[in-house]
Amino acid sequence: MDGRIIVITSGKGGVGKTTATASIGAALALEGRRVAVVDMDIGLRNLDVVMGLENRIVFNVVDAVKGKCKLKQASIKDRRIENLYLIPASQSDNKNVLSPEEMVSFGEILRKEFDFVLMDCPAGIERGFENSVASADEAVVICAPEVSSVRDADRVIGLLYAKSITPKLVINRIIPEMVERGDMLNHIDVVDVLSIELIGLVPMDDQVIIATNTGNPLVLQKKSKAGEAFRRIALRLNGMTDLPIEVPQAEGHFWRKIGTKLGLGK
Amino acid sequence: MKKDEQDNRSIQNGPVRLKGVGDSLCVTLDPALPVDDLQKELSFLFKRCATLAVNAKVVLDTGEKEGYEELIEVLGAFLKSTFGVGSVSAMLKKKRSPDPDEKRSPDPDEDIRKRDVEGSWHHYRSEVLMLMGRVRSGQKVTAENHLLILGDVNPGAEVWAGGDILIMGSLRGTAVAGQPENENAIVLALDFQPTQIQIGGIVGAGLPPSSKKQVEFAHVENDTIVVEAYLEANTFGRMPWLQVR
Repeated sequence: MDGRIIVITSGKGGVGKTTATASIGAALALEGRRVAVVDMDIGLRNLDVVMGLENRIVFNVVDAVKGKCKLKQASIKDRRIENLYLIPASQSDNKNVLSPEEMVSFGEILRKEFDFVLMDCPAGIERGFENSVASADEAVVICAPEVSSVRDADRVIGLLYAKSITPKLVINRIIPEMVERGDMLNHIDVVDVLSIELIGLVPMDDQVIIATNTGNPLVLQKKSKAGEAFRRIALRLNGMTDLPIEVPQAEGHFWRKIGTKLGLGK
Repeated sequence: MKKDEQDNRSIQNGPVRLKGVGDSLCVTLDPALPVDDLQKELSFLFKRCATLAVNAKVVLDTGEKEGYEELIEVLGAFLKSTFGVGSVSAMLKKKRSPDPDEKRSPDPDEDIRKRDVEGSWHHYRSEVLMLMGRVRSGQKVTAENHLLILGDVNPGAEVWAGGDILIMGSLRGTAVAGQPENENAIVLALDFQPTQIQIGGIVGAGLPPSSKKQVEFAHVENDTIVVEAYLEANTFGRMPWLQVR
């Protein structure tokens, strides 16, 4: 059976596309699927650093698409996780060296080789976005609970629908304490505006920065709440669609919640 | 029998429709079609009532848009020469007055009775663009006349209309109504939280957000945009008779 190509996109930069790609990819590989994560941010490659593989890059995605090397040569095996491969971006080219048509045929090759292909889309809606989306079957839109991020995600959702892709939503960088105080957008409001299927809520987590800097997979860290959330997203993408979505809770909220349930009020 | 049914259907849904009104025959037609097609359709209809058509008064209704005098003249001459009708005239059109008071104040009594009896909207071809769904950021929806959306308008989206804009949902984007210069137009939404409103040439930026959960609408009063609770103001409910907008 052919694999699924999923593009991870957001429109706005800095909302966690790269972290999400690395984490979901790692979690899917831990489930025993053959996974490729492709860095489509040509000219500004990051995914290799996040995964701690920057010193192993010989060939990159541009070489593979242009036929300068074989797919096997461009895919770098992860240090820790079996079945996880990175296809890095080129740092010296820019986004215009690839075309959507080339990406469609490259997608066919990837589909034969892997169960899941995650495309790490660059920010923006220009050529880089077009290239990443061209071969995708599905899309995951990452959105932070900020007005500007919601606006950009909405634009991207419109563009994805125009390409007959039905996107799914992940809300990232939720700070439960701020949501509770009313200083941050509630995930319900975000879903209300974007009105697409929600597949995960990821809380803000210091572990993300640590994992990114050391190049260790976030999902391998048992303490990480964000890692846990990404693992659940991966499970949902892998077919466990009835897995409930956990809403990030503030510390100490548990007892208050029980209090409310017992009718003690707020 | 079967053929008759087919004929009836084509009369009801065709581009040309015929109806007796008082002492005259009212013909509603689509002015966008080529003259030849219209003539063909007219002959088809008039052949079936050839005896009635002789010396009859015929009124041609080309919908709301103006500028079809020439077409009416051509078709009139054709009807007169082929079927011997008495007179051919254009449907009287509602004038778009730039003064809102003129439109909302009642005309003299006899005018009211006349309008009521006439039911002028019976032959009116609607020119409302009605859509359902969600207008997303970066999308722009344009309607030549009125625009009705069943759904929401997200922030960053723009809806643009020559006439009114009615949103059966949340309006959070930009709404531009009454373009280019119809300041009688309104913008209405069940949940009214627009980024910006424009009616005719008047821009209402930085409208204070209303927390009230009620249907509101924006209209122009003394060259400024005023937002009111729709059910409380009930501007249209207070009108004395029905009329085409």
